[in-house]
Formats: sequence, C-alpha cells, structure tokens
Amino acid sequence: MNSLLDRVPDYVRSFERYVPSRPDPVLMRQFGVTKLFRLNNNENALGPPPLALEAIASFPPKQGAIYPSGDAYDLRQALAARFGKSPDQFLVGNGSCEVISSVIRAFCAPGDAIVTAEKTFAVYEWVAKFSGIEVRLVPLVDQAFSPAAMLAALTERTKIVFVCNPNNPTGSWWNRATLERFLAALDGRAVVVLDEAYREFLDDPDFPDGMEVMQRHDNVLVFRTFSKMYGLAGFRIGYLCGSLEAVDIIRRTHIAYSANILGQIAATAALADDVGHIAATRRMVSEARGFLRDLFDSLGLEHMGGAGNFIMVRTPLSDTLLYRRLMREGVMVRTMTGFRYPNWIRVSLAQEPAMTAFATALPKILETS
Amino acid sequence: MPGDMCISLEIPPETDFACPVAGLANALAVRAGFDRRENYRFQLAVEEFCLYLAGFADGNQPLSIGLTGKRHQMRASFAFRAANLSLGALNITSRATSGTLEASSAEMGLLLVGKAADRFRLEHHTGDRFVLEAEVDRAYPEVATVRRPEGWCPPFAIRTQHDPAQLTQAAALAMSAYPRWQCPGCFRTPAKFPDMVADGAIACVLACDARGQTVGLLSWAPCSGQALLFSGPFVFTPPETSASVARLLVDGFLETVAREPYNIVFSFRATSDLPKASFETLGSLQSFVDGRLEHHPIVFRHLREDNGLAVWCPPQLERFLRQAYDRLALSRDILPVEKPTARPQRASLLGAAYDPGRNLAELTAFLDGEDMTANLAAHVAAFRRQGIGAILYHMDLSVPWEAALASDLIQAGFTPVAILPQGGRTDKVVWQHEQLA
Repeated sequence: MNSLLDRVPDYVRSFERYVPSRPDPVLMRQFGVTKLFRLNNNENALGPPPLALEAIASFPPKQGAIYPSGDAYDLRQALAARFGKSPDQFLVGNGSCEVISSVIRAFCAPGDAIVTAEKTFAVYEWVAKFSGIEVRLVPLVDQAFSPAAMLAALTERTKIVFVCNPNNPTGSWWNRATLERFLAALDGRAVVVLDEAYREFLDDPDFPDGMEVMQRHDNVLVFRTFSKMYGLAGFRIGYLCGSLEAVDIIRRTHIAYSANILGQIAATAALADDVGHIAATRRMVSEARGFLRDLFDSLGLEHMGGAGNFIMVRTPLSDTLLYRRLMREGVMVRTMTGFRYPNWIRVSLAQEPAMTAFATALPKILETS
Repeated sequence: MPGDMCISLEIPPETDFACPVAGLANALAVRAGFDRRENYRFQLAVEEFCLYLAGFADGNQPLSIGLTGKRHQMRASFAFRAANLSLGALNITSRATSGTLEASSAEMGLLLVGKAADRFRLEHHTGDRFVLEAEVDRAYPEVATVRRPEGWCPPFAIRTQHDPAQLTQAAALAMSAYPRWQCPGCFRTPAKFPDMVADGAIACVLACDARGQTVGLLSWAPCSGQALLFSGPFVFTPPETSASVARLLVDGFLETVAREPYNIVFSFRATSDLPKASFETLGSLQSFVDGRLEHHPIVFRHLREDNGLAVWCPPQLERFLRQAYDRLALSRDILPVEKPTARPQRASLLGAAYDPGRNLAELTAFLDGEDMTANLAAHVAAFRRQGIGAILYHMDLSVPWEAALASDLIQAGFTPVAILPQGGRTDKVVWQHEQLA
C-alpha cells in the first residue's frame, strides 16, 4: 500500500518548499492598506534604463507568438562586446537561479558536494539539496565569507564552491587580494562560482572584477543578473560567463529557449545605455543607506551592509512579527530568519517616499511592542 | 534512519497470523537488545493490534506491517484499509464486534488493547486507508544526581557536534534545575536523550563555555509537517549570564531549523529564560502540577513570512478568531461555515494519541457523524478513567466540516485556548477539555 510520498526521494521529501508572497493587490487587501512599498526583493526602484523602457514599449505584441532565440543569440553578442569575450563564453538563463541549477547539474553527481557559506543567498543550498547533492556550509567570520574555512570544508568530492561577492545579505565582499589568495590556495581543485549579482552597485577599485579574474583562472565562473541594477527582475534574465570549455559543458545541462523574448530584447537594450542609469541608482542607494543608518543609530539598533542596494538591521522583536506589523503600515521588508539571521530584517534601499514610510512605521511599531 | 532495524511484511487480516507476527516482534526485540519486559510488551502490543485489526480491516486487502527497532524504541506500524461500515469500531473507545475474533481481549476497545504499548496513535491517510502505530520504549535508568559544573569560562558558544555523554549530562542538569513539566519525557531517563538524538527523534543545540563545559541546552522535535515543538532554553549558568546563554541557544536553534521544511516553532513548556521578545504568546494550557492548577503559556514564532491564508470559521469561533488574528497582526480570509443540518453518516471517527507518560491525550477528527458529541464525551470519559489530566483537541481550519464541529466540542466541554498559526494544513485551533479543579 505505497503512498505517493513513498515514491519520492528522501532529499526531495525533506526539502523545504518555497512559498512566494502573494500579488501586491492581494496583500494590500489582506493587510488593509492602499499603498505598498516593496522593500523586500532588492528591486531597483528607478526601474530599467531608458533604452530598455523604449524597447519594452515598442515590442509588437503579435511577436508573442514567436519563440525567442533559444540561446539568447543577440544578448550574448552584446555581452561579448561589452566584456571583450567570445559570445560562446556566455550562457543566458531564466534568472540566475536557472543558471545555478545548470551548473550544479553539469558538475555534480550523486555523492558529490558543494561548499558555500551558511549565511548567504539560499538558492545554491536549495538546488544542491533537492538534487541530492551534499551541501557543506561554512560559518561567516565577521559577517564575511572566510577563505580559510571554505578551504577547510573542501573534500575530494567537492565539485563547486559558491562565493557570493558581494554577499547577500551581509553586504561584505572579498577584495582582489583575498580572492587571489583563495584561488591560489584552492589550486583548481573545484569550480568556483563568483556570484556578482550586486557588483554594479560597487565602484571600489579594490573590488575584484570576475570577468578579469576568470581569464587567469579557468575554474572560475561568473554569475551576473539583469534583475538588480538593471531593473529587469520581472523579465528573469541572468547569465554566466566562463571559459569556452566550461560553458560548453554547462550548455549540455541547460534548457534552451528558457529566456523569454522580451527579456532578451530589454536586457540587450539595457546594456547599450547604462552609464547614467548606474550613476543615478548608486546615488539613490547611497542617500537611502545614509538615511537608514542614521535612523537605526538613533533607535540604537545594530545594522550591517556595505555593498548592494540593501541594509540589514537587528530588531528587538521577532522579525516575522515585525514583518506583519510593517505590512499593516504598507511596507514590505524581508525577514532574515530564513537566511539564518533570526530577528534581523533586510531593507531594500529605494527612493525617499519609501524610505520615509519605513522610517515612520518602524519607530511606531517598536514603541508599541 | 540509518541504523534502524526494519521488518516489513503483508499478511491477510486474519487472526491466525497474529502469533507469527508476534514471533517476528520477539526476534526484532532480541536482536535490538531490548530487555525481556519490553520485549514481552512489544510482542503483546503487536499481537493484540493484529487481532484487533483482523476484526474489521477489509478482508480483501492485506494488512501491511512495519516493525522498527531503534536505539530508544520499538515501533509497530499497521497500514490497513477499512470500509465505512466498520469505521465506527476504530474509535479507541469502541468495542470491536466481529464473529471472527476468538480472544476475549479483542472485544475491548483500542484504549485497552493498547495498554501494553507506551503510546499509540491512529492516523487517517486517504479515503479508506488508516495507519495504527504503537511504540514501546527501551527501559533506561532513572535520573541520577548530577553535579552542576562550576567556574564558567566565557566566551560561550554553540556546539554542533554532540557527544552522548555530554547530552546525558545536559538532560540530567535540566531535570535538576527546572520543573519536571518543562522537560521532555526523555530527560527523566537522561541516557535515553542521546539515543533519541541519534535516532533523529529529537534534535538539540548545546551551549558550552571555553573549557567545553555545558552551559545550556534547547531541544525540539517535529509535531506536524509544519511545526516544531521546542523545550527550553535550559540554562545552567548564574543569573548574571543566563540571558546571554538563553539568547545564544534560541538563535542557534532558529539558525539550525531556518531552512528546514517547517513554518513555525512553538512551545507550551518554555522556561522563564526564554527571550520573550523573540516570540509571541498565543494563549495558555491548563495543567495540574503537584495538585495545583497552573496555566502554561503557549509561545510561538514563524520561521518565514506569513502572507495570509484562508480559514473556515463557524459562528461560535468567529469572535475568538478575529480577536486572535487582530492581536497577532495575521492576515486571514475568514470563510463562514455553518453546522451541517445533516451528518454524512451515523458513526463519527476520532483519531487519538495517548501518552500516559506526559499525562496527555490529543484528539483529532477523522470523520464526522451523528454521534460526534457523544463520541467526544466517551473519549473524555475513557481518558479520565485512565487518569489523564490534559485532554486536547486539534481543529484544522483548512477543512470546512472540521471547523463546523465547534458546537459539538463546546457541548462536550471543550474550550478554544489558542490559535496555532500554520499549525496544521493552515491554522489550527487548540481546544482543551475543562479541568475539574
């Protein structure tokens, strides 16, 4: 009398299912608000760059009947031109999550392992776990990836090391020297994924450029996305760049036609017109970060976050309760218990009205808790 | 779990097979190194449940039996099919009536048949599929006196690698420093605790000082697909450092379970060391402790964002639910449900978990029926006769007919005491039968 569950592998059965938040109109109705500031997903409040907006607006709806380029041909040409590489060194996916899946499928067999930090972007851990791959998690040291601990966690079965640089959610990052020392010590024993989803928010000359690093280390893969700085999260375009050999292998496990047609067009246009957009976004993020740091200092709250368009703060009550109370004030943040930071929240850095709404609601809630 | 010893078999639902299955139970108990007394109790439970189920399991369908030997326990699991006509007989208070039964003990209800086991539970899976599980625990020595370490040496830190001796000592320290009701049952025989950890039945975090001395403990176990029940934090340092150790334990616990497939953690036996700000209070359970009636708060917190659910709500519960949801800032679509004018069948069926060691019985509804109020009352009376003090009923608000049972529960003497958000498929209402002080 086998049940359906008996037919499911243990590593799937025991896996946490992800429940996305409901659409904004539903949330607004449920929490009784008429406006909702989304500060939970690190979206770019300025939206996409102007040329991308034009490309989206001029898209002929009838073209929705046509399949997209199965391997994002035009976008890969544009990426190759931008970074001085071969188009065949790029692989475009339906968001970086799909690219993470493809890389794990390409390099890991049952019994293999990945190594990453215990307090970082969850998707590396998730995909490995529900694929039956061992996950070796390393504690952060001073809220940053620890090269020594990552190396110590390596075994003969470790195939991939995921380094989120800058790290989501702590905002810490490895500088050039740290990354170089790590790669030298690793000595090519595993593939290194540098996830640079938030790299465009940094202009520090000491921040290592993965596109340059991979030229000297053929075991390095670089992940980037159009969801953050480029404001195209709704179109789900992420990509990786690596050596020709590595990308050729990953392409075998990658689903063709997964990046949608309008996303490819918008991302290609965004690349052609990003200088002013990046500068404006960095200005907005910097102002918002200063504003929130002052707020948290005035409330006596511990906070962290140097890079990226987000900041974390430790709250004197349960983060999941604070989330619900903030929702009733029309502000949506990200709870951090799931990132293994219980009683912390992460707040996306956005424009003044959203920051003011959050800065008004938070003290009010803390006073009544 | 790796290391478990398992036997699986299918037998026709006939009394002739009860004895050979009991023989297998004996072989398993011997092989797993259980004492003679536990071995006999396990054999007896297996044989009696086989005889009992032969009374009304569907004659065309085999009885699937799983016998498992763990470090701390033997478990017998019986998966069977039962047609609607015989379901009423599955109530643990019922008397099985079948011409095929020969042993007089099989004429008794499950509550009596199951006395050989330490605990048992009946679960309804889908349609006509049921699972009956009985457990017999290994005998362990009672708690010995334990000397509290002295001369703490900060800094304190969470230790993830657990040594069995250290776990035994931590459980004994908790028993010596905290009221009995706040400790999990396995702490009363501390050597059982590391076995349960190794078996995966319970998990924990330990806090240690710089010398490796245990300064605190917090343990937990799943109690549904979405909820973890925790005990503690148990802190063994002087008052001036107890708050920091408690915080360390709670953070370590939450970080450990953060990406496990659970949505909430809760406790009705949390200690006074719990950092209150990290949790929300839902209500309280009544309990008799040393002859005194006490109220033990139910605390909880989500592990993830709660963005709303739809729940079914009968008129009798609406005020209670709305007040609770408003206080907890929970967003819920409340869908009205009325008490049915006609019941789907005559006999209702209640699922029961019965644990004399914890002085606790818990009821859930499997099938609605015309006799629901009487059936609830019969269960209460049977548990009271067994000396059980705390009788809880769990109502899952995802099921309209279950929510509609509010009036039956009120008539049977139950009172809603708390909403457990996402405690079931959606929210759960915990009811408690009124204690007679």
